[in-house]
Amino acid sequence: MAHITGVAVTAFGKHAGRGPVDLMETAALAAIGDADLPREAVDGLVSGYATTYPHLMMGTVVAERLGLKPKHAHEARCGGATGAMAIVLARHLIAAGACRHVLVVGGENRLTGQSRDDAVKTLAGVGHPEHEVPLGASIPAYYALLAARYLHEAGATERDLAELAVLMRRHAATHSGAQLTKPITVDDVMASKPIAAPLKFLDCCPISDGAAAVIVSADPSPRAAIRLAGWGEAHTHQHISEMPDDLGLGAKVAARQAFETAGRKPSEIRLAGIYDSFTPTLAIFLEALGLAPAGGAGKAARDGRFGRDGALPLNLHGGLLSYGHCGVAGFLAHVVEVVRQMRGEAGDRQVRDPALAYLHADGGVLSSHVGLVLERAA
Amino acid sequence: MSGIALLKCRSCGHHWQFRRAACPVCAAIEPEAVAVAGGGTVWSVTTVHRAPLPEWDVPGGYAIALVTLDEGVRVMCRAESGLAIGEPVRVTLRDGLPHAART
Ligand SMILES: [Zn+2]
Repeated sequence: MAHITGVAVTAFGKHAGRGPVDLMETAALAAIGDADLPREAVDGLVSGYATTYPHLMMGTVVAERLGLKPKHAHEARCGGATGAMAIVLARHLIAAGACRHVLVVGGENRLTGQSRDDAVKTLAGVGHPEHEVPLGASIPAYYALLAARYLHEAGATERDLAELAVLMRRHAATHSGAQLTKPITVDDVMASKPIAAPLKFLDCCPISDGAAAVIVSADPSPRAAIRLAGWGEAHTHQHISEMPDDLGLGAKVAARQAFETAGRKPSEIRLAGIYDSFTPTLAIFLEALGLAPAGGAGKAARDGRFGRDGALPLNLHGGLLSYGHCGVAGFLAHVVEVVRQMRGEAGDRQVRDPALAYLHADGGVLSSHVGLVLERAA
Repeated sequence: MSGIALLKCRSCGHHWQFRRAACPVCAAIEPEAVAVAGGGTVWSVTTVHRAPLPEWDVPGGYAIALVTLDEGVRVMCRAESGLAIGEPVRVTLRDGLPHAART
C-alpha cells in the first residue's frame, strides 16, 4: 500500500536568481512539513532532472542539499511523465520494503535560467537526431502534427481546441500561484500568433520557473488517507515517426492498467488531473480515456463538464496551459491540486467530495504514459 | 529512385526507417537496406512558424509532413506548402532531406 501524505507546489512564473536545486529545496521542505514528518523519516528520494542544470546525479545533489541520508536516491527522466513515473517508482520502493517515506521532487528555472531559444532547442531534441531534428521540427511542430491528425480524425475544429485553453485560463484565475491569469476567449486563442499550424501561441503552455514535491508513504497520513490505488504505464514509441496509428493507444494502455490495479472504472472518477502541454494533448487524452466523446472534448469544456461544478472537474489549478510548465514539476502540480481537493483543502476552488481521482501524464510525443488512480478512504 | 532508403526484414518483409539491428515485429536480425520509389500519402502536415533555431526561421514558415510510404513506413519530410492529409505525394531527397511533393 502506498499513500500520498504530503504535497507542496511553489508559484509558477519567474523566480529570478534561483536555480533548480533552490527551487526543489523549497518545495521538498514544504512537502515534508505538509506530511508532518521529521526530516530523517524520509528514507527514499526520486528527483526530477533540470535542463538548466544537467547534473549526472541530481538525486544525490538534492539529498545533500536537504540533509537527507536516504536508503535510496536517484534521478528519474521521462520527459513530462517524470513526476508521475517517480510516484510509481516510489510506490514500488515501498512495496518492496526498501523505503517507508519517499520524497518525489521536481523543480527548474526553465524560464529565467536560459534563453527561450535554448529552451526550444533543448526540447526539440526529443526528436530523432537523424530523421526528425534536422528537418527543423520543434516540440510544438511534433504536437502540431498530432493536432492536425486529431482534427482530421475526430472531426473537431481549432475553435474546439481553443475551448480547452480558455478553460485552463479560467481555472488559473482562481489560484494565486498561477503564471497566466488574464482571462482569454476562443477568439483570443484563434487570433494569437501562429506557432506551428494548427497550433497558435495560446494553444501552447508557457515556459516557467517553479517546483513541486510529493511524499509517498507506506501508511496513510492521520489527516487524510489518500491511497495510490492504481498505476499504469505504457511506452509505445519515442519518436512521432514510429508512433502507433491510434493517437490514444498509449493513454488507453496505461489507463487500463491503472484502473485494473485499482479495481475501479473510469466512470467512477470525480476529479481529473490530465497533462495539457498543448490543447490537442488534453483533447486526445480526454477522448482516449473515455472522459469526453470522440471529437467532443472542446464541446464538453464549453458545456461546463470540466468546471468546478461540472461532472468531471479537471485541472482546477489551471494546468500546464495556465498554471505553467517548468518541466518535471509541471505535472506534479496536477498531483498537488488533486490531493488538496481530495483532502478538502482547496478553498475557493474546492469541488464537492472527490473521493476518486485519475491523473495522467505523457512524456515525449505521446511516447511514455503514466496513469494514477487516487482514492480517499472513507 | 527517390533516394529514400529503408530497412527491410528478410524474414517477415516488414519495412522501417530507423537504424536498428533486428526487426521490431519478428526480431529477425540482419535486415536488408532497400531503396524505395518514395510514393505515399500525407498522414499529417504542419507549417512551422517558429523554428527551433532562429537561423532556420523563414518568412511564412516551412512545411513538415509525416508521409506514410507505400511500404507502410511513416517518414518525416519537408513538404511543399498547402498539402492536405490523405493527399498522394512522392518523397525525394532535396538538399539531403526528404521532401514531399504532389504527384
Ligand atoms: Zn521481421
